Amino acid sequence: MKRPQEIALEELNMSTIVGLTSAFESLASMKISQTKTQVLQSQAFFNELWHIYSQLRVDSLFRFGRGKSDNVVDKTLVIAVTAEGGFSGDIDQRLISTMLQEYDAKKHDIIIIGHHGALQLSQLHVQYLKYYKLPEKDDNINVQPLIQMIKQYQSTLVYYQSYESLTVQEIKRIELKSAVQTAGKQAGKNDEIISELTYIFEPSSFDVIAHLERSMVEITLSQVILDSKLAQYASRFRAMTAARERSTESVQELHILYNRTKRSIADERLKEILNGHRAGAAT
Amino acid sequence: MADDKIVTEDKKDGKKAERLPDVVHIRVSSPFKVYFDEDALSISAENETGPFDILPRHHNFITLLSACEIVVRTTQGDFRIQISGGIMHVKANQIVVFLNV
Repeated sequence: MKRPQEIALEELNMSTIVGLTSAFESLASMKISQTKTQVLQSQAFFNELWHIYSQLRVDSLFRFGRGKSDNVVDKTLVIAVTAEGGFSGDIDQRLISTMLQEYDAKKHDIIIIGHHGALQLSQLHVQYLKYYKLPEKDDNINVQPLIQMIKQYQSTLVYYQSYESLTVQEIKRIELKSAVQTAGKQAGKNDEIISELTYIFEPSSFDVIAHLERSMVEITLSQVILDSKLAQYASRFRAMTAARERSTESVQELHILYNRTKRSIADERLKEILNGHRAGAAT
Repeated sequence: MADDKIVTEDKKDGKKAERLPDVVHIRVSSPFKVYFDEDALSISAENETGPFDILPRHHNFITLLSACEIVVRTTQGDFRIQISGGIMHVKANQIVVFLNV
């Protein structure tokens, strides 16, 4: 049987774990709130750009900001956004297996974001074109290298973890072009027309349209990465909540055990004293 | 904006006339941050053709910005921000600068 001092020490250690997990839980919760604000802010920015774009465009072609003369690879670029590792649970495995169900080496090229996903693809002997680290920062995410790749391909598919709620994170698959257009439709329509008759353009309206398309793709990609990070923060929050609950239970159990052990030692001593008295009286 | 109007005396008929102050509303933002959102006197930036200034009541204008320092002049002083690029939209005495991601 453990001594009460040992149990008291264990209880103290467990209380430290409760404090730590509680702090991590608060951190994850704060990150979730910050990231949500950023997603909303970037959505407002996107909506404004879309309003200008929709007033400029006369057709529904979306060219990802590429020029008419740019050569296009007749393949689909697949981008998978996974975690860097740790506390991510099985969601990355599910994401990779969902992606591979559709994967055809002749038709697709893969870009993987996040070390966890890259590791899994290597284990499955699936070759990917490029690997990027998941950005540590939550703002000003540099998606330029991805945009350069996207511009070269006919179409782009993105697989990522989506944040639905603190308890629910889902795997999503989007076609980038339609995702930008869907987001644009949600931004609403503006009947006004921007043309060279009513506006001065520098350098030209075509360059402005190309720039707007690039910017909107960049924002959509940044939002996908942010959404992925949000899902990962939520996953961490869940893990920390579970750890805190388990450690709180352990502290309570240890405290009961400590009291029982102390009482049992006191009872043992009392018994010894009584037995001593009885033995003394008998003699 | 009604409070910002300057009331002047018209010398000919003695009637009071309203004159709008020479300010333009300027907003400079990136997808994740708003850097400036106030009335100002002017804005200076650079595009493909070189440096330029936009003053109040400028004609409708859309331009792609080059990497430069944007200077917004206000009655309280200058606001400066270094940018890598962006797009400027000028319409109805409102200037919006969308900075690159």
